[in-house]
Amino acid sequence: MYGYIIRRLLLAVPVLIGVSILVFAIIRFIPGDPARAIAGVNATPEYIEQVRRELLLDEGLHVQYYVYFTNLLQGDLGRSTFTRRPVTVELMERFPNTLVLSATAMIIASVIGLSAGIVSATRRYSMFDNISMLAALVGVAAPVFWLGVMFQILFSVNLGWLPSSGIGTWKHLILPALTLGLATAALIARITRSSMLEVLRQDYITTARSKGLIERVVTYKHALKNALIPVVTVMGLQFGTLLGGAVLTETVFSWPGIGRLMVDSILNRDYPVVQGAVLMLAVLFVLINLVVDIIYAFLDPRISYGNKEVE
Amino acid sequence: MKKYLVLMLVLVFVIGFVVGGCGPAEDVVDEPDNGEVIAEGQDLVIAIGAEPESLDPLTMNSAPAATVAEHMVDNLVYLAVDGSLEPSLAESWEPTEDGQAWVLNLRQGVTFHDGEPMNAEAVKYNLDRFMAKGDFEGGQAAIYAFLLSEITEVEVVDEYTVMLHLAQEFAPIISHLSHTFIGIHSPASLEALDAGENVTAPVGTGPFKYVSWDRGEQIVMEKYEDYWGDVPQLDTVTFKFVPEASSRVIMLETGEAHAIMAVPPTDIERLNAVDGIDVVFENSVRVIYMGFNLEDEKFQDVRVRQALNHAIDKEAIIATIFQGVGEPSSAPIVPAVFGYNQVGPYQYDPDLARELLAEAGYADGMDIELFHPTGRYSQDATVTEAVQAMFAEVGVNASLTTYEWGTYLDTVITPPDQAEHDIYMLGWGTVTLDADYGLYALFHSTQWPPRNNVSYYANSDVDALLDEARVTPDRGVREGLYAEVIEIIWNDAPWIFLHNEGQVNAVRSNVIGLIHHPLENILAWDAYIE
Repeated sequence: MYGYIIRRLLLAVPVLIGVSILVFAIIRFIPGDPARAIAGVNATPEYIEQVRRELLLDEGLHVQYYVYFTNLLQGDLGRSTFTRRPVTVELMERFPNTLVLSATAMIIASVIGLSAGIVSATRRYSMFDNISMLAALVGVAAPVFWLGVMFQILFSVNLGWLPSSGIGTWKHLILPALTLGLATAALIARITRSSMLEVLRQDYITTARSKGLIERVVTYKHALKNALIPVVTVMGLQFGTLLGGAVLTETVFSWPGIGRLMVDSILNRDYPVVQGAVLMLAVLFVLINLVVDIIYAFLDPRISYGNKEVE
Repeated sequence: MKKYLVLMLVLVFVIGFVVGGCGPAEDVVDEPDNGEVIAEGQDLVIAIGAEPESLDPLTMNSAPAATVAEHMVDNLVYLAVDGSLEPSLAESWEPTEDGQAWVLNLRQGVTFHDGEPMNAEAVKYNLDRFMAKGDFEGGQAAIYAFLLSEITEVEVVDEYTVMLHLAQEFAPIISHLSHTFIGIHSPASLEALDAGENVTAPVGTGPFKYVSWDRGEQIVMEKYEDYWGDVPQLDTVTFKFVPEASSRVIMLETGEAHAIMAVPPTDIERLNAVDGIDVVFENSVRVIYMGFNLEDEKFQDVRVRQALNHAIDKEAIIATIFQGVGEPSSAPIVPAVFGYNQVGPYQYDPDLARELLAEAGYADGMDIELFHPTGRYSQDATVTEAVQAMFAEVGVNASLTTYEWGTYLDTVITPPDQAEHDIYMLGWGTVTLDADYGLYALFHSTQWPPRNNVSYYANSDVDALLDEARVTPDRGVREGLYAEVIEIIWNDAPWIFLHNEGQVNAVRSNVIGLIHHPLENILAWDAYIE
């Protein structure tokens, strides 16, 4: 197992280098002069020239990347061209906010999604099944910014229970986490349901039932555990997506997270911040995928990562 | 196994919570409890759309930065709402007899928030740093250093007198000194910065002192008891950064904010109907225009340019797209600017437009490439589509092209031989409220791209008048020169003159004394909460 983890981590190194090259190249292929975009409409040609020198824009791409990469190896992600602050500081200020939001959303999504999925599967075509699957359909389809504004109007303006936006207390967390979590909950519910239904048709479930086990044990011990593998995969991927993709929720609720920072930085052509943020998200994605793979082994003992069994 | 999963998630959550910014409630100013408005303390919250990029004179570049900075840092001169120049840290100023220098007499007994004295040395330090002159020679100059490009030397005459030596006579220099980005900071606070580091916690002489800046969230400041002017009645002012316009509106409705900037046109009517909320309309200093590529053969004939001006129903655009906010342009600069001369608007007259086009040889119409930004100026894409439809009425077939802002700027601000556009849309704010800033940069023939005369306009009469107005100290004479320039430009029609932007803010009715400035600032130094 440990050998496997180390191997996976080593394999991540070329992936991350690849990501860094890709991001580096992509933002430089956006047409237009970044120095002009950074300096703004009123800037003089002299100032634009100064920005260009600072960013080494007159050098070849390989020179720019070499400088970037050597700095990166020393843990230096550079300075934001927009705020002139170190990129690491910018990222570390925002990251905890995003982590809290995504993790809370993920808990909400898991609790709602798993329970709705299980109940729907075991009471197939019941009223609950129909309603919850319809709700899940709406949940997947509803645009996050619409849902967010509806929540703000209901819970902040009309009922006055919760602050409409910003960050600070646990109360500020509820609406954005709910908004962000519901779409994922809907997805998890649907996957759980179909996965459960498939498992419930298996022979070993019939066997378990014929042994005289009570339905609860059959459902939770025999069926659920086996049905969870695709669910865990989706949850892992979703968590990664939430970490990087909560842009709309973060914008609607003025939540100072990584997603908003990244979009702002792209619009401001803030190369160093975009590079840093994407690289950080790539690292997280790699780690989450690793964790998901490890969880598989817990869920299904037939999956093993020891050398012998795999090869 | 669900156990493990939940355990893991809970763990992640707990770690995040401990590391994260979810601290206790007391650091939040004006925290609404159960949605109730708490306005006991004089703690004002203003929600604005964007976060300042910086509070450093060297790198400030936006209206939000200016709004926030103005509460903490004073300028030498204050540009009042009516466009007049009022004393601030400089009590008075006058040019020397030959006009080659200006003498500033500074206010005495003023201290910075760190207790350091504000004097001539401090002013010299700040201006030198801004221009990268004197001790700062070779260093980084400010983005807006061009405002002071005529200053060759800042001389300390005595403790409270500064002399600004100019390369040549330059009448708008005092207007330029009023620009918010040229605030005077405590030299000690600037010296304490590392190389390449920006001011994030400004130490000025303003009515409010810096308290904190939570990135992506808010900047908090508190009243400065030793302020040289009237000490504010507010205890604290908090600027919250709320990018989503509808979220700002909701914050105002719930009472989480006392004032919000940039109300979207679609919300004006609804907010107006809400008890306890006032919608405030104010002019801005920005004109929105569509410039011709004058090097293009189609637009060599002035009749074509005038025809396209007559083809656009500005009134209808204002009434429908902007819900009545703003006004059709009546000059290349807005009325609030010194030097303004009302020469327009061009009347909407599609028949005349068709007639002029026919006279110029375009009776069958023409095809044009119209470039515009999306999301940079209020409703820019919608306005362009309306213009496209009105063009079609007079037989002009416009195909639209839009880019993301950075790419757009680089595409249209380009030498004539590389221009892909026939017509481009841009805006310009005359932030010094002096015609020089609004006309010289956009119409003088020395200002072609990469500078801002994007239409490649060149008229020797205009050049001569603009040059003369720059070096004429007498304001009456200058006004006459600009009146003449504006008339020539208007008839030459290098642009389709569209509209002067308006700004819409909204305030809770119990907040008294907020200043809504045409420079797109909200100023709270005289405000209080009832």
